[in-house]
Amino acid sequence: MSGAPVPPAASVLSVQHLSVLAKDRPILSGVSLDFAGRSLTAVVGPSGCGKTTFIRSLNRMVELTPGLRVEGTVLYVGQDIYDPHVNPVLVRRRIGMVFQRPTVFPMSVFENAAFGLRLVHESEEEIDKAVSEALRRSGLWDEVKDDLDRSALSLSGGQQQRLCIARALAVRPRVLLLDEPTSALDPAATQRVEATMQRLKEEIVLVLVTHNVGQAARVSDRVAFLHSGRLVEVGPTADILERPRDPLTVQFITGRFE
Amino acid sequence: MSTTAVPGPPAESQPVPPPSSPDGAPRTVRRRGAWILHTIVPLVPALVPVAIVVAIVFALLSLAGMSIGLSLTPFSFRFRGPVNFGWAFFGSDFAPPYHWEIGVFIVGSFLTAIPALFLSMAIGLGIAIASTTYLPRSLTAWLDPFVDLLAGIPSVVFGIWAYAYAAPYFGVTINPWLSMHLGFIPGFGGSPGLPTGEGLPVTIFILTLMALPITTLLIRDALRSLPRDLWESGLALGATRWETMRRVGLPHGMRGILSAGFLGFGRAFGETVAVAIVLGGASRYPTNFYGETGTMAATMFALLDSAYGNGQFLALLSEMAIVLLAITLAVNIVGRRFVSSFVGYEIAGM
Amino acid sequence: MATANPMTRMLTPEDLLTDRSLRTRWRIGFDRAVGWVLPLLFGVAILPILAVVYYVGSRALPTLTVTVLTSTSLTAGVDVLGVPIICTFEIMAVATLLAVALGLFGGIATAEFLPDRLAGWIRTTANMLAGTPSVVMGYFGYFTFVLYFGWGLSLISGAFTLAFFMTPYVFRTADLAFTSVPRHVREAAYGSGAGPLQYILRIGSRIALPQILTGVFLAMAIGVGETAPIVLTTAAATIVPHSLFSPATFLTALIFANYGSSLGAGYVNVAFQAAFILIVVVMLLNVLVRIVSARYQKKLEGLYL
Repeated sequence: MSGAPVPPAASVLSVQHLSVLAKDRPILSGVSLDFAGRSLTAVVGPSGCGKTTFIRSLNRMVELTPGLRVEGTVLYVGQDIYDPHVNPVLVRRRIGMVFQRPTVFPMSVFENAAFGLRLVHESEEEIDKAVSEALRRSGLWDEVKDDLDRSALSLSGGQQQRLCIARALAVRPRVLLLDEPTSALDPAATQRVEATMQRLKEEIVLVLVTHNVGQAARVSDRVAFLHSGRLVEVGPTADILERPRDPLTVQFITGRFE
Repeated sequence: MSTTAVPGPPAESQPVPPPSSPDGAPRTVRRRGAWILHTIVPLVPALVPVAIVVAIVFALLSLAGMSIGLSLTPFSFRFRGPVNFGWAFFGSDFAPPYHWEIGVFIVGSFLTAIPALFLSMAIGLGIAIASTTYLPRSLTAWLDPFVDLLAGIPSVVFGIWAYAYAAPYFGVTINPWLSMHLGFIPGFGGSPGLPTGEGLPVTIFILTLMALPITTLLIRDALRSLPRDLWESGLALGATRWETMRRVGLPHGMRGILSAGFLGFGRAFGETVAVAIVLGGASRYPTNFYGETGTMAATMFALLDSAYGNGQFLALLSEMAIVLLAITLAVNIVGRRFVSSFVGYEIAGM
Repeated sequence: MATANPMTRMLTPEDLLTDRSLRTRWRIGFDRAVGWVLPLLFGVAILPILAVVYYVGSRALPTLTVTVLTSTSLTAGVDVLGVPIICTFEIMAVATLLAVALGLFGGIATAEFLPDRLAGWIRTTANMLAGTPSVVMGYFGYFTFVLYFGWGLSLISGAFTLAFFMTPYVFRTADLAFTSVPRHVREAAYGSGAGPLQYILRIGSRIALPQILTGVFLAMAIGVGETAPIVLTTAAATIVPHSLFSPATFLTALIFANYGSSLGAGYVNVAFQAAFILIVVVMLLNVLVRIVSARYQKKLEGLYL
């Protein structure tokens, strides 16, 4: 369970003995992991290993599934996000999420990106600024800048997904969670999203769940391997992919990454 | 589509293009005669609803065209005879056999159905949002069917309850209270009406309850149709449940909500027996919010007894039937355009 | 590392998860408040149901005896339910059979044979028909069956009128039941050489049957609760009808006629008893619908893999 040597005090996000239990069986058991600022950690593992549950525990989205119990904690900049006094609404502002399928709202591109900002009634100038900044960061700006009022549904799949990223970025989170963001996209769109991720990892913390080990190799700094709800191994990407130590990791990597 | 891809009766020497089918399923090639069998014959039962609608229109027109003596001539629907379609149409002198203006009932129907529509939409929206967003499945599993049960209470049973309990309660308690506190709004002050309570308020109350199952069901379906992903995306951006529902869920379900409005209105507009029991055959323009008024449906039902022997009276009531039918059909057609499927709506009495 | 705690260096006001700003408290508070208030609206729908059932039950049950239910002869001062119950049963039987005859085949035909555009128009018409007010149906029945066909105010006039009222529901249900058979089942059937009729009779009907049955029960629940089509086409009957053309009555008609009766408590009571029975019947049909639906879901699960 050794992570990269990052002093816990400096981690933006620190997962501490996190367990998620369903009625009959544990989905996650005792996962501990720290995320330093400005990095991309890929979370990989066979299907059913709990990686989606893991990432959804990082912004309290796991609470939406009835019947699950969360033990342990997750610290965001030193604060316990599962503290009873903390409302999930605030957690999710700081820790954004992008889903598997592009989930643009049926509104204009601009309104999609501005969604999070409108909730707190920022001024129009603030919103304008934040929207264009977010669209730039997600790499979509050049493609939509001429007509921000067009319906988001008229964009291609890859563009929609980058719009979802922009939408999450607009509220300036420190952490962005991505749950298999390219699994519904064609190779060209995938490549664009991966380019965006590579740029973003210089700015904020990214946590990427992916079943595509090649993708992990391309974009991540660090790979965490989960198996049956346990964190088996974590380390710099090259280390894990070329010199995996645990036999389970070996089995997974060689099976997937020829 | 390939015509010979399936084993079946061999193609005849004169191959006929296969008839089109609803989803392009492959068809075997058959003789010309079979084509008739496959298209014309099914048409016969399928046209039954059309035939019934035509028959209804025909029947109403014939009734309306009857003059004294019960001559049943179809197509004699020129609105001749006692009904005057000029300004006097909206006069309130409905006192057959001398005066015949039915406008008062058309107004009455709208006057009762429209507020009922708004109320049932508002309440239905609230219930639907509560059910889809705030309440756990363990509660909604039995609460939702409970609301649908409201539609199962027969109109007449509802009517006698309303007549015995709701109406007097309105007459004695609610109407005077409203008159006292809302009196500053024009039309809401003045005499609170009879203590037996018949009048607009209780009628609107009844119609609201009758339309409620439909509006609730349709709005609930519309809100449920929001994909889970979209809902979670809203929450993941830091929005509260209310904010997500308001900004994402409601716009997404707008079509279904609109159809709920139209169909709920249709229900309230055509409600007959419950209103008839409470209002009787009232036929005046109400002087204020609490006065009595008649609706088309209720009047048609309540006064038919008196019209049995009287051809002109009958013709008059039938003209009301035509107007009622026309409006209801129009509302239903518009409302249905927004609904994608009809699953389970029968439960709500639609 | 720096001597200062790296965390305080990083923490910006926005990072505080315990934001107490007014705006946030308002947003969260409003959401919570809505979560308490909106569910209360369920009461608006539920209370009237309970009130009606209590109102009817409390007046019906005390005097409800088997005799009252089955007796068919009037004794002085008391009305009985035997005749209305039998009449209701007979009218519903005829009406349901007729409604099924009229609606079932048309619904199947629309789902299986007709081109899409035509099917769309016919469905619209069926929907229009479903939406017509029952009193208009009553007028239609009065003209067509009572006057034009000359059947007079009789059982058959009532049954036919009710049947026409119930038909669109059966039609729509049959249509929907067949339309919702999964594509691959249909294609497999045709691909094995079945003709449309064979498909319908052997495969489609098996899959669609529960749904159609549900629709028929619902149509019956609606039909048994209707008043206007019956009152306008049948006359009050005091004896069991001896032919289809005899006068007949209906539970709803009885309720309507007797609820305010000045002939004494014996008559009024019967109205409530009839109301009670009516509610029970409708509830039973609804329960039946749910049971059939549930079993249908279970049995046909494998179809949708």
